[in-house]
Amino acid sequence: MAEVIVGKDLWDDDSPGVISAWLYEDGEAVSQGSVIAEVMNEKISFEIMAPAGGVLIIDAPAETEIELGQKIGSIKT
Amino acid sequence: MTQQAATRKLTIAKSMAEALSQEMERDPDVLVMGEDIGKLGGVFGNTAGLLDSFGPERVRDTPISETGFIGTAVGMAAAGMRPVVELMFVDFFGVCMDAIYNLAAKQSYFSGGSVTCPMVLMTSVGGGYGDAGQHSQSLYATFGHLPGMKVVIPSTARDAKGLMLAAIRDENPIIFMYHKALQGMGWLGTEPGAITPVPEEDYEVPIGKANVVREGEDITLVGLGATVHHCLAAANQLASKGVSSEVIDIRTISPLDRTTIIASTRKTGRIVAVDDDYLSYGVSGEVIASVCEAGVPLRAPPERISFPDIPIPFSPALEHFVLPNSDKVIAAINRALEPVNG
Repeated sequence: MAEVIVGKDLWDDDSPGVISAWLYEDGEAVSQGSVIAEVMNEKISFEIMAPAGGVLIIDAPAETEIELGQKIGSIKT
Repeated sequence: MTQQAATRKLTIAKSMAEALSQEMERDPDVLVMGEDIGKLGGVFGNTAGLLDSFGPERVRDTPISETGFIGTAVGMAAAGMRPVVELMFVDFFGVCMDAIYNLAAKQSYFSGGSVTCPMVLMTSVGGGYGDAGQHSQSLYATFGHLPGMKVVIPSTARDAKGLMLAAIRDENPIIFMYHKALQGMGWLGTEPGAITPVPEEDYEVPIGKANVVREGEDITLVGLGATVHHCLAAANQLASKGVSSEVIDIRTISPLDRTTIIASTRKTGRIVAVDDDYLSYGVSGEVIASVCEAGVPLRAPPERISFPDIPIPFSPALEHFVLPNSDKVIAAINRALEPVNG
């Protein structure tokens, strides 16, 4: 199981972001390194990559507010 | 690791950027100009990465001067280049419409076909995120009404790439509309159905061809951009009640693929047309008129759902009250089915 984390230094301050979209559904297969989600802070978009290949499990659905360092899902390898 | 059927999916924003990048790679005459399309990568993400790959000569941030840079694009197209320019919000066509409909749209006609105008104007349309009356309009009909240019709008990332490649290669001016709610940008709200697998290779989606995105027998639902997803949601919801809906994505506003719409309606005998532009003199009216002119026998009066003829409200409560949605489509379908049921 690999955790999907919003990188701690994705943006400069500790303001919250939002998950713009999950590109895959919960339970869908993803490959390592592919973009699986986009998060947004101050109208700037950031990509979240799959840390491993496997089945995606989504913890924080699209449109939810998130913080730097937060776990938003995991990959069942 | 057993499963490895993962397909690559993109948002429409990424898909447009990939199409632009691949075509710039292939054809040195292609260049991009507009406000915030370089360093920022486009406020809607559709030009991300281009400046790094192709440099400021071919990816040019312009001042807020649509009159200037869109006029420039018309001249560049006449001189053999293939400019892609961005009008950030379609709402602001007023300041540059002369370059669009008097110059670009007429260049080929006025020169007896000897000077074409292979330019693409990308422009964002649609609302739903509380940005009020000057940043939320669709104006499909305004552009679709004027001859001399083609007007397209994708509803999925797959179509966005294929339509963009076809648009850049077309000898005519193309208005490439993209809907903010489908773009995959968080602050605009995102329709998950617009995020689809996108082939990495080169492919075109033909301009002028509608797409039957769901086959059905009882009723034809016609949409474009965001309203395709409203139609699909309505169709899915009513499928459990035994209603079989056919859903058509117009994809090209001009020239409209009347053949596909008429053939579908001839089969189902009922039609609901849905768009988020102003109602009167609009796309849905054109769709319905085309069906009626063809003499298609209808089993129920045709229905259209559009934005009412008022400026778009700022208040989210008011805006969402008047925007088309799947509930309104379901209500229209039920009305259309009533005479038979009752």
